[in-house]
Amino acid sequence: MTDVTLKINGETRSAAVPPETTLLKMLRESFSLTGAKLGCDVGDCGACTVIVDGLPVNSCLMLAGQADGREVLTIEGLATPDHLHPIQKTFEDCASLQCGFCGPGVIMSSKALLDANPNPSVAEIRDALAGNLCRCTGYTKMIEAVQQAAQVMRSAKSKRAA
Amino acid sequence: MKKRGRGIACMWYPIGFTVAANPSAAVVKVNEDGTATVLTGTVETGQGSLTVLGQIAAEELGIATDDVHVVSADTDTTPMDTGAIASRTTYVTGNAIRLAAEKAKEILFQVAAPMLGVKPEQLEARDRKIQVKNYPQRCIGIGEVANQAQFVMGQPALGSASFNPPTVALDPATGQGKPFATYVYATQIAEVDVDDETGEVEVLKIVASHDCGTAINPMLVEGQIEGGISMGVGFALQEEMLFDNKGKQLNPNLTNYIMPTSLDMPEIEVDIVKNYDPTGPFGAKGVGEPTAVPTAAAIMNAIYNATGARVYSLPATPERVLAAIKVARSKQLPKPKKAAKSKRIAAH
Repeated sequence: MTDVTLKINGETRSAAVPPETTLLKMLRESFSLTGAKLGCDVGDCGACTVIVDGLPVNSCLMLAGQADGREVLTIEGLATPDHLHPIQKTFEDCASLQCGFCGPGVIMSSKALLDANPNPSVAEIRDALAGNLCRCTGYTKMIEAVQQAAQVMRSAKSKRAA
Repeated sequence: MKKRGRGIACMWYPIGFTVAANPSAAVVKVNEDGTATVLTGTVETGQGSLTVLGQIAAEELGIATDDVHVVSADTDTTPMDTGAIASRTTYVTGNAIRLAAEKAKEILFQVAAPMLGVKPEQLEARDRKIQVKNYPQRCIGIGEVANQAQFVMGQPALGSASFNPPTVALDPATGQGKPFATYVYATQIAEVDVDDETGEVEVLKIVASHDCGTAINPMLVEGQIEGGISMGVGFALQEEMLFDNKGKQLNPNLTNYIMPTSLDMPEIEVDIVKNYDPTGPFGAKGVGEPTAVPTAAAIMNAIYNATGARVYSLPATPERVLAAIKVARSKQLPKPKKAAKSKRIAAH
């Protein structure tokens, strides 16, 4: 067994898992964080995307042991009981998701993009979402939602600064 | 060299099953707090049908969509529905829900009529009230009427209905009949760049003009059209199931079965044609499957417009496009004029 201690959504958590356990499996089965989805399990679809130390990763391709001592943000870490995260809100407002299975991964990829680049171009958004497959929506309304979320997050930031 | 071209494709598509029965049933009840509950057997798969069905019930009852609670897809408790197939939910299930809501509303009118001192046919349901037509100040809140219906008149305001699209069976000898109750129509225009040295095709823009009757929820209609176009782009250029000679799929995975990503999607301009189908709920028809129908044809016509090459086998991979360009070029070579030459010789 491998002992893993990491910070998930701001909280320090520990688990002992078999060494071949992926980060995705540990999140879902040891910590009951089922927002990240098991899609292809080989890094093609992006449904398992979480943010590790600020970067979006396919959690099906990362061993749980590799996440030891690192900071992981999952979709469960975005909303508060009272408020959706601005990206979740704009995805809802724009009807950006249909069946929703890809949603947690798409939103985490968008979050990683906007944290690094608060004012992305459409081309940069398309590039950031290229690892997240969606069969329903054609991505168009997702791109719109990321643009709107970027605007909301920028104006919230400048308000805080003022 | 990159060559730009435009192509156009049109389609029609039927709503519901071909002649075969495909009914939907629904129950609508109006509650004492002025809200309504809809029971439907249909299933939400992300297309937004429950939102649209809630809007239909709300419109019929004169209440807000937020006032409608839709209970769906539980075979223990909800009435039969053929399902979220055949682009039929808005039209067929929507009609069943509108009819059920109309029956519940008729009970409200019968109860409210003596309260307002008019005949039931002089009433209308609007703004969460039952009111006298043209005299909206003469009104009672819909919740109060529902309460009166239950506890004073002893006739709860509920309705149930079913709808099966009317069809006429096809005559096997002549092929004549009316296989579907209604049809939708669309035109899509594709703009592409084709690299005539590599055969690579980039779809730059798709303009999609769709008739779906009344668009009850235009944002959801756009979502369906954009999603259908992404499937059409994949069908046109990328997606191919490969089988070995024993029929086993060679690419049963997302590594080798290539579908569009955000980078493959063109700019999309959606145009919802204003139309009204009197047989649909508030004029609505449907929009699901038809959105994917004309896309590949429009892209192939655009490739032809750009290069003169006709691709007859999908997906139009760079290899196939390049082969088609070579065929097109070979046909363009000037033909030797043997007959004319021999004539000239003979004249000499």
